[in-house]
Amino acid sequence: MIATCNLQETQVHLYTPSRSLLLDYKRRIFRLVVSLLIVCSASARDARSVMADLILSEKAQQGDLIEELSTFGDTIITEIYEAWRTGEIYLLDQESSSQLLQFTTSQQWALIKNGEVINLTEAEVEKAKKMRPARALRKQMKRIIDTLGLKAADASLRIDSAIKLGRSQKLEFIPSLEARLLIEPAKEVQLALKEALAISQLANGNEAEVMDAVRSLADLKSVASRAFLQTVLAQEIENERGDEPLAEACQQALSKIETHIKQQEFFGSFFRGISTGSVLLIVSFGLAITFGLMGVINMAHGEFVAIGGYVTFLVQNLFIQVWGLSSSAFGWYFIVALPTSFIVAAAMGFLMEKSIIRFLYRRPLESLLCTWGISMIMQQSFRLIFGAANVQVNNPTWLMGNLSFGGFQMSYTRLLIILIALIVVALTWLLLRQTNLGLHIRAVMQNRDMASSLGVPVARVNTMTFALGCGLAALGGAVLSQIGNVGPSMGQAYIVDSFMVVVTGSVGNLLGAGLSAMGIGLVDQLLQPSLGPVLGKITVFIVIILFLQWRPGGLFPARSRSLED
Amino acid sequence: MALSTGMKKEMGTLCAVMGLLMLIPLLNAIGPISGPFSVSSFEVSLWGKYLTYAVLAMSLNLLWGYTGLLCLCQSLFFALGGYAMGMYLMLMIGERGAYKSVLPDFMVFLGYQKLPLHWEPFYNFWFTLGAILWVPGLIAFAFGFLAFRSRIKGVYFSILTQALTYAACLMFFRNDFTFGGNNGFTDFKDILGFNINSDGSIRGLFIASAFLVLITYLVTSGLLATKFGKVQQAIRDSENRVLYSGYSTTSFKLTIFVISAMIAGAAGALYVPQVGGINPSVMEAAKSLEVVVWVAVGGRGTKWGPVIGAVLVNFIKSYTTHAFPDYWLIIMGGMFVMVVLFMPYGIVGVYQQVKSYLARNRSFETTTV
Amino acid sequence: MLAYHTSLYRDTPLILSVTGVTKAFDGFKAIDDLNFYLEQGELRTIIGPNGAGKSTFLDIITGRTRPDSGTVVMHEQDGHDLNLSKMREFEINRLGIGRKFQTPSIYKSHTVYDNLVLSLNKERGVFATLFYRESKQDRERIMEVLKNVGLEKRVNDLAGLLSHGQKQWLEIGMLLAQDPRLLLIDEPAAGMSDEETERTGELLLSLEKKHSLIVIEHDMEFVRQIARKVTVLHQGYVLKEGSFEAVKSNPEVIEVYLGRKGKKSQQN
Repeated sequence: MIATCNLQETQVHLYTPSRSLLLDYKRRIFRLVVSLLIVCSASARDARSVMADLILSEKAQQGDLIEELSTFGDTIITEIYEAWRTGEIYLLDQESSSQLLQFTTSQQWALIKNGEVINLTEAEVEKAKKMRPARALRKQMKRIIDTLGLKAADASLRIDSAIKLGRSQKLEFIPSLEARLLIEPAKEVQLALKEALAISQLANGNEAEVMDAVRSLADLKSVASRAFLQTVLAQEIENERGDEPLAEACQQALSKIETHIKQQEFFGSFFRGISTGSVLLIVSFGLAITFGLMGVINMAHGEFVAIGGYVTFLVQNLFIQVWGLSSSAFGWYFIVALPTSFIVAAAMGFLMEKSIIRFLYRRPLESLLCTWGISMIMQQSFRLIFGAANVQVNNPTWLMGNLSFGGFQMSYTRLLIILIALIVVALTWLLLRQTNLGLHIRAVMQNRDMASSLGVPVARVNTMTFALGCGLAALGGAVLSQIGNVGPSMGQAYIVDSFMVVVTGSVGNLLGAGLSAMGIGLVDQLLQPSLGPVLGKITVFIVIILFLQWRPGGLFPARSRSLED
Repeated sequence: MALSTGMKKEMGTLCAVMGLLMLIPLLNAIGPISGPFSVSSFEVSLWGKYLTYAVLAMSLNLLWGYTGLLCLCQSLFFALGGYAMGMYLMLMIGERGAYKSVLPDFMVFLGYQKLPLHWEPFYNFWFTLGAILWVPGLIAFAFGFLAFRSRIKGVYFSILTQALTYAACLMFFRNDFTFGGNNGFTDFKDILGFNINSDGSIRGLFIASAFLVLITYLVTSGLLATKFGKVQQAIRDSENRVLYSGYSTTSFKLTIFVISAMIAGAAGALYVPQVGGINPSVMEAAKSLEVVVWVAVGGRGTKWGPVIGAVLVNFIKSYTTHAFPDYWLIIMGGMFVMVVLFMPYGIVGVYQQVKSYLARNRSFETTTV
Repeated sequence: MLAYHTSLYRDTPLILSVTGVTKAFDGFKAIDDLNFYLEQGELRTIIGPNGAGKSTFLDIITGRTRPDSGTVVMHEQDGHDLNLSKMREFEINRLGIGRKFQTPSIYKSHTVYDNLVLSLNKERGVFATLFYRESKQDRERIMEVLKNVGLEKRVNDLAGLLSHGQKQWLEIGMLLAQDPRLLLIDEPAAGMSDEETERTGELLLSLEKKHSLIVIEHDMEFVRQIARKVTVLHQGYVLKEGSFEAVKSNPEVIEVYLGRKGKKSQQN
């Protein structure tokens, strides 16, 4: 049906992308733009045009083109080749003299040369001709595609690819790995290449080479090689050479790697502990202010955390509606959500203080009941407005990924949380120590009556302080939305912990609250790997009870001279 | 010993309340099948449940109303008593469970080969009765000892007891804790050899609950009448003064905490057969707060307040969950806010509030509540 | 230094010896190497400017605050010495050391009568109180105390309804009901009318000899009324000890009270 092309002289190549490719489309374009920028600056021609040439080329030219293609690390090669192999690329002869390669959905086609989307008429589609690679070419292409990752622009992709090739332990990849090692600029990638080569040598090398490989793997503390080293060791033992140097070296290497893994796990827990502690810190700072400094237990504090989560959700949706999910503006939503959630919650806290809390200042236990009633109302309102299920909050793209530090991964999200916690600490400190409001707040905390008689506007200070506490809770919720679920009862999980933080850190003492938040976060995360989440939590609780036996007033107890304190 | 008029009046009220309560099983047994005076077995067990709640509220009142300790682990003690009773009831199912095994169904399901050792004694009803009291009592003693010794009081006590409940609740949600994980216990068959679902058993359990209310009332007012009760109330007003009068407030608070835990445990034990099961959600921290609300609504530090509060709040709760499933939480929450703001002494206190208001209007003499 | 130890060489036995006691809060020394001796049956008045450590001193004797160093020893009548610095409040109280606080602290929802019942020097364990039955003796004792503090007409009223001065007396009455060997009384005249103050002074003087007393007071008129021997505390140590007149005319004391040249008072 396509063979009877009539009028046009020029050829057009088309391919239909698979369903998954289509779903990936937007992200791929984005990545493509990035990688194109890099690749283009390096060479005059990009991977797309070389591929286009290759598809149209005669057998004689193919050698050179393949050679040229092997200098690219662009994943578009894989995609176009896959389409080509599975018959999704079409050739269309057109009027103009230029040659075009295209890919498509049923309606849309794209030029292979530059990815530009074009529309074709029914008739043009009718006469497009399917292209298939020659058998000889397939083998060469497979080598290029397998080792493509080694040339990727992103260093972490190169590392992944190297380790994958090494783990396959195939002899054929050794030359590619060695070749890349010679020109690889990045240090971490060099290490990964060495590791891959050594793993490969374990299966392929002669006795001396295996020995060297084992030693270098031990030096590299290669986690990936553990199973392979165990295989070598098992073989040695099976062949009754368990006492010989190779087996010993294997054992040494394994124990070295084992220690390394333990260290990594410890640092991982430590890092998670710090970031968990940071969330706890933001949430419990709010609580320490409302509860510790004002003597009011706000059981609805957890719901203010949830408000933070929901405001973040709403801001995100606004950004999606206005700019779209894939726009670069979307990345900014989280930055906007942080102050917004603070302001919204502070405003609600303001109203709550004005209407209810101000009647309860001398009745702390009753404030507990009252705010619990409010918390029930708020929780159910969330359910009615947003539904009982969790809502989805996406991470902005710039928060995805990890910061690698000595082989140890720290996610950007958690790093940002730590940073925000530090900022919150600094701002709260400044507010309490350097501003007039802060002075008033501290005066009211110490002696309500005295402050009042000295002309401090106690009622207003109360309102502001309460609003501040609620705002901080919501800030905690906004941060939490990046690492946890946003749902009607999201605050409940944190509220008990936050209360413990405030009690342990001495009520009314922000330094104490900060330290105990970090302490509880750390102990919790360090215990979890060995005890599991539930027993870990219970152990933390027991530790706190015992700590209070030793220091009943918490870390920094306040002293009072009146009889009833 | 001659009874004072006050005590006579109190005995009169007590008899009247018990008489009214006994009408419920009586009407169920011999009353009409339909019409305003018919009482179904479902209603009997529903009111029986309210009575166990009333006992739970009274146990908290002993702590909060009379000693000033706002305890947020009453639901834990309640659940512990309930679990003890539940263990006995599970074992009484025998081989009539879904898996036809002597082991409770959930154990078969989780792959237990034999009954865990700590379950064995619960075949014995008398041991169970003991455990209903001593298990909550022991936990209360251990926790109370540590808490009171380090002078944890007021809001801090509330927070730590809440955390205790939270921790225990997490434990009970675990399958490997041998208490049925989040499904808990259910499908009971017999109690003391009687079919647990028969009308007679339901009436019996109701009567037992009513008597538990009576006993708790007598224990509470008995305690309050002694010097011990006076010390207890003195601790509420000025704990340090008590300390400087030579009383070890720690031992007093500990004693009252343990007694209160045991009462709550007993209430839980009667709750479980009447609702037909127990699971960890009964001991959630929020449940403890609900108990506090019952007491607050009824009137804390009063003898009948907690009973009135527990029955009333639960009655309203049953009604609103049915009538406004989406809004009942909001209605209840709003009610609590209102009660705290406008009725600080609860329903029982309203009478006093009105009286003192009228008195103030009539003369300029100072009167207090 | 030696001047403060004179009482050691007297014939009257001591009831309380405080030697070398130091207590610091966050580096601030509230009590600094304090030495203090009290004879049996003595009425001692302690004066001193704000922040001199007077209340902290009482806190240390009653076990509310633990000293950093030094010893607080109570001398029993049978010759035994008891170290108070390791004991808890209620244990110290049971030895017969009663304390009245600056602000009246009474059980406001109990009747005046019950306030005193709770203060009687009886077994104070949990079981003892559960099975306590009021004896005729107890009732007589309570009525006697009530007469002493002039509250016999308010016996069945709730303590919370008493006037401020009456609350002060009730608290003193609660101390008397305990029949303690040593009474520590913190500013008894605070918030009282002149007439009430004078009656309080008479009451305290009537307790002398039978009981030992330490009275902390600010009101110089009141001090003049009750003063036997006066101890002046300053910055946590004993500045001067002697008769009221001697102390009053001492230049050092005058400087501390009036001068305070350029020195800021450390605490409220």
